[in-house]
Amino acid sequence: MLVLKNRVTNSILNSERKSLLRFLTLYILMSTVVILLLSIFYYQYQDKLNLANHRTQLSTYAHDLIRRLKRTHHFFDQSQIYPRDNRFKSAIYDMEYINIFSILDEKKVYFHKEIYRINSKIHFVKVLDNYYLGAKYLIIEVDDIDDWIDEVIKNIILYGVVALLLLALFGLYLSRLFLKPMRDYLMLLDTFIKDTTHELNTPLSAILANIEMMDREVMVEKNIKKLHRINIAAKTVSTIYNDLTYLVLKRENASYNIDINMQDIIYDRVEYFDILASSKKIEFRIDLEPIILYIDKEKITRVIDNLISNAIKYNKRGGFIDIILRDKYLVISDSGIGIEESKIPYIFDRYMRFNQSEGGFGIGLSIVKDILNEYHISIDVESQINIGTKMVLRW
Amino acid sequence: MVKKVVIFIIILSNLYSQDIYQKSCVECHKSLPASLQRMFMNYLLVYSGEENVKVGLFHYIRYPHKDTSVMSKLFIETIGVKRPIPRHKLSDKDLKEAIDIYWEKYKVFDKIR
Ligand code: HEC
Repeated sequence: MLVLKNRVTNSILNSERKSLLRFLTLYILMSTVVILLLSIFYYQYQDKLNLANHRTQLSTYAHDLIRRLKRTHHFFDQSQIYPRDNRFKSAIYDMEYINIFSILDEKKVYFHKEIYRINSKIHFVKVLDNYYLGAKYLIIEVDDIDDWIDEVIKNIILYGVVALLLLALFGLYLSRLFLKPMRDYLMLLDTFIKDTTHELNTPLSAILANIEMMDREVMVEKNIKKLHRINIAAKTVSTIYNDLTYLVLKRENASYNIDINMQDIIYDRVEYFDILASSKKIEFRIDLEPIILYIDKEKITRVIDNLISNAIKYNKRGGFIDIILRDKYLVISDSGIGIEESKIPYIFDRYMRFNQSEGGFGIGLSIVKDILNEYHISIDVESQINIGTKMVLRW
Repeated sequence: MVKKVVIFIIILSNLYSQDIYQKSCVECHKSLPASLQRMFMNYLLVYSGEENVKVGLFHYIRYPHKDTSVMSKLFIETIGVKRPIPRHKLSDKDLKEAIDIYWEKYKVFDKIR
């Protein structure tokens, strides 16, 4: 029971993974945006705070300079020297924004901002009441000592990453919560199948053995037909049974690989299914070359059985099934109802039936995929609605 | 005779070599206690930019008034408001030119170091 539980929780289905991924991406994206916004606010706040600290200082400088400008103005006929101060740089502009005098390092000035940063300088703009020397605008410039930025960025990165991590963990927890009902359902199904399989074994062997043993010579025509139908039904059940046993019992077993002649095994399986196919007037068109694969016989049989039985199950009456075997690939295509393109990525998920009107557990293709993965054989699915499906195995 | 003609020519050339500002402003201002430089600085103090100063001064010379004067109250009270220079003595064009010369002579840009 414990093993079973682990298997279910460990195998994430494609459909599950997709919804999980979608949820997580959206969630992380939104969290990132929120954190980014908060960071921007924080940064701007710090920036304002820092400028506010500077403003008091710069305003004092400005007042000092204005006093000295006043003196220069009144004694301009005697001395034309602009008042300098080694604590800051400055400039004066007249009302028409013409530069009267400037010792600024950064010449670009925004007259209508009171204080601003520009190229690692801080400019403070003071509008004069008396236009000493014709100056209406006085600009004070100091170096922008931006060590606070490092501090702020460090904080943003540190807290941002921590917050994102916490949010991501929370998101993971949330998504698990969402997926739990789905998982519980899958587990229930697994348990059910396991229990059922045990019970099916004996009666099914009895039916198959007895059909073989029946003496057709003494049977009337009507009964032979009926027996034929019983045989078909029994074989269908047998395929399902074999899938189930593989799923619940054999999957964990180690593979017993031997050289298998694929041509032989395909002929064998086609013959086995012939009776099923002919009941729907389906024709096998077979083109095989003798190819040897080093593989577990039981497993490759499950693959071929499932592909062929699907090709029969989802075929039209009087359709065909093409099987082509070459050195590097195997193609099984049918003239069936086809699979919607949007559903193709999920057909290998367990309990996913790609046609609701047909029965089955929807485990066949998941077994196929499982086995092919073990042997690193790729499978491509091409399908057109009402034209057919083509499965290509490459190794 | 020749001497008289030479002197006359010298005076004439002297008159012509003086620009419109020298002729129409400086002469009369010489006797005033505040220099034209001082007055210019007072203009800057109130009008700041070049256009503004020129327009303000143009208007004041045509329509002087104690309320629009840039000089101190004490100065106006002792000297009195100047009399407007009428157009037939100094045309608008010539006044503009005189003011331009005045601006060029005293503007701060060139002098401040
Ligand atoms: C007739 C004599 C006279 C002439 C010509 C004259 N001024 Fe004056 N000006 C004065 C006197 C007197 C004052 C002082 C009273 C006053 O300010 O109104 C004065 C004042 C001024 C002032 C100070 C204005 C103020 O707001 O008080 C300026 C500037 C000035 N003159 C410029 C000029 C210029 C430029 C010219 C040449 C276009 C000129 N003046 C021609 C007599 C003259």
